[in-house]
Amino acid sequence: MNSLERITATLQGRPADRVPVIAQVFGHAAVASGVSLGSYVGDGSVLARCQAEALERYGYDAVFALMDTSVETEAAGSVLDHPDNDYPTVQSYALASADELDDLPVPDPRKAGRMPELLVAARILREEVGNDTLVVGCVLGPLTIATQLMGMEKALYCAIDEPDRFRDILDYATELAREFGKAQIEAGVHLPLVFDPAASPAVVPPGFFREFELPRLGALFAGFKRHGSLANWLHIAGPAAPIFPLYPEIGVDIANFDYPVSAAAAQAALPATCLDGNIKPLSFVEDDPAGITREAGQLLDQFADRGRYILSSGCEIPPESSPRNIEAMVRAAVGRK
Amino acid sequence: MDLLIDALIEGDRTRAVSEAERLIKAGVERERIVTEGLEVAMKRLESKCTLEQFNLLEIMVAGRAVMEVMNHVYPGGSRPVPAKGTVVIATLEGDVHDLGKNILRMVLVADGYRVVDCGRDCPVSLLVETARRENARAVCVSGLITSLIPLVRLVKGSLRHAGLAGIPVIAGGAALKMASPESLNVDIVCDSAFDAANFLDNAGGAGT
Repeated sequence: MNSLERITATLQGRPADRVPVIAQVFGHAAVASGVSLGSYVGDGSVLARCQAEALERYGYDAVFALMDTSVETEAAGSVLDHPDNDYPTVQSYALASADELDDLPVPDPRKAGRMPELLVAARILREEVGNDTLVVGCVLGPLTIATQLMGMEKALYCAIDEPDRFRDILDYATELAREFGKAQIEAGVHLPLVFDPAASPAVVPPGFFREFELPRLGALFAGFKRHGSLANWLHIAGPAAPIFPLYPEIGVDIANFDYPVSAAAAQAALPATCLDGNIKPLSFVEDDPAGITREAGQLLDQFADRGRYILSSGCEIPPESSPRNIEAMVRAAVGRK
Repeated sequence: MDLLIDALIEGDRTRAVSEAERLIKAGVERERIVTEGLEVAMKRLESKCTLEQFNLLEIMVAGRAVMEVMNHVYPGGSRPVPAKGTVVIATLEGDVHDLGKNILRMVLVADGYRVVDCGRDCPVSLLVETARRENARAVCVSGLITSLIPLVRLVKGSLRHAGLAGIPVIAGGAALKMASPESLNVDIVCDSAFDAANFLDNAGGAGT
């Protein structure tokens, strides 16, 4: 089985030759290739080369055409600070106030900000791996885009003080994500991961998620499927278990569970959904290979009977992680048939 | 006072300010509004926010109402330095995310502390200098990115080097709470802003 076949079988609950393993390696690919993070997130061809080299080095089952969490807001007009050796951060937001939304066009992914570079990365990676390895793109979820357009505090206060206006902002964000995701599919990704950290129950209560975010995520995923996406992968970090029971309603095929959620809790909340997780990201920096091997082994044991599982970290593997720890996670899956 | 507390917990800042105004006009001492209104409201909010139900939005909305009432009761920061003392907070250099820190500020103010906020992207040297100048009882650092951890480890030593070895260091935030206090070289790693307030309430500390 190649990686894509392995993941497809796992998604469908069919037998696979082994458990797939996806290291959430984003900026670490730059570090591993000796490239600055600034170049990595600014140049699609550099990103693709680093991702391909990381795939070659580690031998896991997916590559990521994924830059950082500021791509969408920059394309919409936010001004970023681009440090040479770190992820960019927002210096001034596209929306100084919610009233400015009416003047904000939805960015064209082929022209706006770094979106075209991300499409370049997607195209190169797909050409390189074809249908052997899963090529994953990424869009932020509507709520996270909204917080990136205005700033987290301003956006959340807007949701409370002007809920109708906030719905307009979320609708704009949903359209932005839809266009960006569709462009990524056209460029060659097998699926665009939807990364939505602001929707975590650590940030907003489940009732808020159900009212504001759930219908928009559902529409977003349905649109991606219609456009040819292989599967709907939702990534909400933190203690997300309280909203897991809502995932089937959204159409989620792969649910990321982060380290605060136990494997047992994730399985109980999503009995029929493929799960990926959940080694603590900091462990890849601070632990040693023996510790990672132990943690990965426990996860593989916990999912042995259930299946529908992808061994992974709970969230991004930090750029400064030890390569030996990533190798240990991959070995744990590859070594167990 | 119950009406004020209810308004604060619901995050209804308009009603909370008007209740505070009504209490002032009725002759209630301003400090009582803080200790029996604001502090009690935040304690009740804390008990509502168990680990399973904790979310930033509800704390933010209640915290905003608390800060507005505080500004109404003591306009222009005219409140005397409270007996609980001063806490210096910051997001360290390299991290521009400050929502967690801002929530901590609101919770600590509501819990009766004076808070000096060094802002985000703050050098360790500025944090230490501020702690010295303000006779801080504790310093709190918040971090959302793991690359910040080496800087956090320096805080304790820098305080010691400045003759402030007795000042406890409190850490929190999504990245830092993945680590242990020993690994970060801090006194405690908190899951929430309430944990930080409880640590200060229970453990005391150096300074005033």
